[in-house]
Amino acid sequence: MDKIKREKGYTKANFLKGLFVENPLFVSILGTCPALATTKTVEAAFGMGLLFTIVLLCSNVLVSLLRKLIPEEIRTPSYIVIIATFVTMVKMFTNAFLPELYSTLGVFISLIVVNCIVLGRAEAYASKNNVFDSFIDALGMGVGYTLAIILMAIFREFLGTGAFSIGTVFTFIPAAKLQIIPKGYEISLFQTPVGAFIVFALILAVIAFIKNRKAELKFNLDKQEKIRKAQEAKLKAQEAANGGNK
Amino acid sequence: MDSQKKHYLITALTLGIITAASAAIIGLTNMVTRDQIARNEENKINAGIVEIFGENAKKSGDQHNLENYKYVQYYYDVTNGTEQIGYAFRTSGSNMYGKISLMVGFYYATEAFKALSIVTNEQTYATTLVENYINPVNEGTRVVEDVSCGATYGARLVRDMIDECYTAMVEVIANG
Repeated sequence: MDKIKREKGYTKANFLKGLFVENPLFVSILGTCPALATTKTVEAAFGMGLLFTIVLLCSNVLVSLLRKLIPEEIRTPSYIVIIATFVTMVKMFTNAFLPELYSTLGVFISLIVVNCIVLGRAEAYASKNNVFDSFIDALGMGVGYTLAIILMAIFREFLGTGAFSIGTVFTFIPAAKLQIIPKGYEISLFQTPVGAFIVFALILAVIAFIKNRKAELKFNLDKQEKIRKAQEAKLKAQEAANGGNK
Repeated sequence: MDSQKKHYLITALTLGIITAASAAIIGLTNMVTRDQIARNEENKINAGIVEIFGENAKKSGDQHNLENYKYVQYYYDVTNGTEQIGYAFRTSGSNMYGKISLMVGFYYATEAFKALSIVTNEQTYATTLVENYINPVNEGTRVVEDVSCGATYGARLVRDMIDECYTAMVEVIANG
């Protein structure tokens, strides 16, 4: 029973770590190239995140399945072949069934092969853990990466075009555009690579601020606790000394 | 067989099996998707001809294959329903920044360059190339030879592809 409870807690933590504590983009700073290049629109970022998650899930599961069969010497080449196979499949299916997404993401679909997160999770996690845990790890990392690039895309699309649009990449959705900032007042800089770097840096700065603030608060609380304990100990010692005198 | 040789054999076999399985899976995926990809490409070519020559434009007759060219693959005669108005060349090239495929249109009457349409653009600086070079060339605000655009290598490739299309068109006309 205890084991089941521990495993349930572990699965949740395993999934959530990819979203927050070990977010591949904002904490590990991995996969930044596609994050900067494919976040001009929320739709494109979602598409990139979706394809990335599919590749990560498939490669993590297969690497975990084959972990006891692949000899140590050929681990990395085997993982690269596995990842490249899934990326090629995803590329072909996207070209066939989502051609607009394929032309929007262009070379960045192929570049998933060399994305550090995919090989990193295969090497660091899937090669040492069972299939279920590897699946959950990949799901958490994939969702975490997708949410991170969507967050960047929200800022870039809103500030760079003054609008949010759907139906341009996923053409099966009826096309719609919500213009929020009047035309002429948008800051087109945010649609350029420079804008991507600025947005990325600002998000990292906010995260660092929150982390530092938390650490500072914890430090102050610990300090107060230590002072309180020292005072209590001093008081007790005084009381003991007074009792002895009596 | 000593244990070391056995180990080497197993290692080589494992990598061989993984690679063979990967090749088989990719081949299978290609079989499933190739017809749809071909249909998408056909639609893109038709849309490209309309983009270059206007709403009533459509290809006339069969695809004319061209050989001995670096980039140009084939061309179509383009009509407006009643008479020929141009030529549309399908051309594909690549450089260290990736691959690009285009439809390049020329007027039938004057043999002058009309415009180009993108079929696939896998260049690393894809958006820069489109925004700073291809769109201005199509709008007539930039000449084809002016390639300094922030994606200069891509623009040079496109310029060379257009030049080769022009050469091919001259040869096609000369050969009747």
